[in-house]
Amino acid sequence: MAEVRLVDIEKRYGSFVAVAKQSLTIENGEFLVLLGPSGCGKTTTMRMIAGLEEITAGDILIAGERVNDKPPKDRDIAMVFQNYGLYPHMTVGQNIEYPLKLRGVNKATRQQQVQDTAAKVELDALLGRRPSELSGGQRQRVALARAIVRTPKIFLMDEPLSNLDAKLRVTMRAELKHLHHELGVTTVYVTHDQMEAMTLASRVAVMREGRIVQLDTPRKIYAEPADLFVAGFIGSPSMNLVNGSVTAGRFRAEGIDVPVDLPDRDSVVLGIRPEELDIATDSSAPVAGKLYALELTGDSTLVTMRMGKTSVCARGPADFEAAINEPCYLTPKAGARFHLFDRNSGQRLDG
Amino acid sequence: MKKLLTWWGERALLVLISVVVLFPISWMFLTAFKQPRDAYSTSLNFTPTLDNFVTVFSDPWNLGSMVMNSVIVAVVTVAIAVPCASLAAYSFSRFRVRGRKFLFFLILSTQFIPAVVIVLPFFLMFRSLGLLDTRLALIIVNLAIVTPFVIWMIKGFIDAIPTDSEEAAMIDGASRLRVIKDIVLPMAAPGILTSSIFCFILTWNEFLFALILSRRDAVTLPVGLVSFRTERGDLWELMSAAGVMITVPIFIMALLIQKHFTRGMTAGAVK
Ligand SMILES: Nc1ncnc2c1ncn2[C@@H]1O[C@H](COP(=O)(O)OP(=O)(O)O)[C@@H](O)[C@H]1O
Ligand SMILES: [Mg+2]
Repeated sequence: MAEVRLVDIEKRYGSFVAVAKQSLTIENGEFLVLLGPSGCGKTTTMRMIAGLEEITAGDILIAGERVNDKPPKDRDIAMVFQNYGLYPHMTVGQNIEYPLKLRGVNKATRQQQVQDTAAKVELDALLGRRPSELSGGQRQRVALARAIVRTPKIFLMDEPLSNLDAKLRVTMRAELKHLHHELGVTTVYVTHDQMEAMTLASRVAVMREGRIVQLDTPRKIYAEPADLFVAGFIGSPSMNLVNGSVTAGRFRAEGIDVPVDLPDRDSVVLGIRPEELDIATDSSAPVAGKLYALELTGDSTLVTMRMGKTSVCARGPADFEAAINEPCYLTPKAGARFHLFDRNSGQRLDG
Repeated sequence: MKKLLTWWGERALLVLISVVVLFPISWMFLTAFKQPRDAYSTSLNFTPTLDNFVTVFSDPWNLGSMVMNSVIVAVVTVAIAVPCASLAAYSFSRFRVRGRKFLFFLILSTQFIPAVVIVLPFFLMFRSLGLLDTRLALIIVNLAIVTPFVIWMIKGFIDAIPTDSEEAAMIDGASRLRVIKDIVLPMAAPGILTSSIFCFILTWNEFLFALILSRRDAVTLPVGLVSFRTERGDLWELMSAAGVMITVPIFIMALLIQKHFTRGMTAGAVK
């Protein structure tokens, strides 16, 4: 268990900036998720913490100690690699056992721990197999087991669930959350899946082009995205974003007219989440357009409507039915939140 | 129809190539078991004999000591070249050192120099060191010839191994040397074995330097072959018997490579 501090770290490949100069403190026992689209520098950040990638500038401190020049083996870290990094010439059991062996744990204890860990990730029946004889999901679980077989200072997990099928992903997610609760080990977790980030994180760091654009609790990030990028990235389906302008305390755009608390200005983007919109029958509703598509998701129906070039999506009741291309009206639910952004800078305008 | 033609075409081509390649070799094998009077006959109808093998191992030919020289030179060369080359290849493959490409080119460029150009300097050097006609001289020369090639070959195998497993091992607590021992060597083993055998074959067949640098004590098999060209004419049946002695180990090794090579390919990395 340890606190991890990244102080003014930067990573460049030649002139290309993979991770821009910035600082980040990961609290002791925290579950921090690095979230962002592919190529935004998540893996690079993690590899710098692990000591697999040299940092161009800055310092990394683990438990208060500067580790810039420490090789990975001395940082007391366990890591799950994006593409597993298993030992193909060893059996599953030997793979999981290897970190213990390197740390001189005696044989009996080793066997016991391998058994226990394998049971946790449901691999106990496969201990004798080679990695090449496993499916993608099983390999990922071996990688996970190898990381959690001992209790390190820090867990680093690089998209550890990305190759599991949907159902197993949900189970393993819960398993990871429970594990973190049990061990309380500081964890840095990389994903591009906002759902995973929301469900697992104590705090989420949303990254874009090598920069952390927002660092906060999942709740706060969902409720108050710092800019247009975060607003569009968090939530599924993603937040409706409509271009328009504010005059006399009302935001207006084609088919939309809602009261907002903002001085007059042009180039404003209004954001509202699909789950905060209700379907209305009244033609005086603040959002009016033509029904474009209906998608049943099981517990609800996604209603997409269009007004001119913009489209707005709402989450309606599962039994909602209407004719495509007919007029359609939406109204914000009670307590719904309007998010306002500057269209040019992308920055949040309110709150 | 077209498919069938291609099929037969392929087979015919394979047979043709095999005949071209195998004919001289089978001729040599046959001659090795012939009596001198049958040596020039093309008939397959002769009484086979092991006399030639007995003759080449006795005075004045003494093939035994040449076999010994060849074995020692080849084995020691492999035993030194392969471990050194493996470490060098690993470094070239994994460490991003300044000037790495140039250094690698430099090492490879030694292979572009024709042997005849450097054989004389080598001769003079070994003469002043008093190492002429010693196995040590041959080992040194062979190391110089073979090591760059083996580095290049093993580097190819190591390049093909993804670095993920190594990085995982380092995180798990292994030092660089431990990583090489536990992870890289087992994964590169088929490649290293293949390279060792190549290295052995190269050394085993090396002729020019052995011819110039040895006289009596350090003569190797390929050079020994020449001694069967006497004033009494070429002793084909003895030369063939000696030729068999040279080729059989190579055949066995080729078979070994084949087995390990395919295994190396299928064992491959886990993605
Ligand atoms: N060894 C490298 N050399 C050059 N560019 C690299 C290297 N590794 C990563 N990058 C670049 O750095 C950026 C961040 O990569 P990465 O951290 O892997 O992203 P991700 O968020 O998908 O994990 C990418 O644009 C990638 O192309
Ligand atoms: Mg990545």
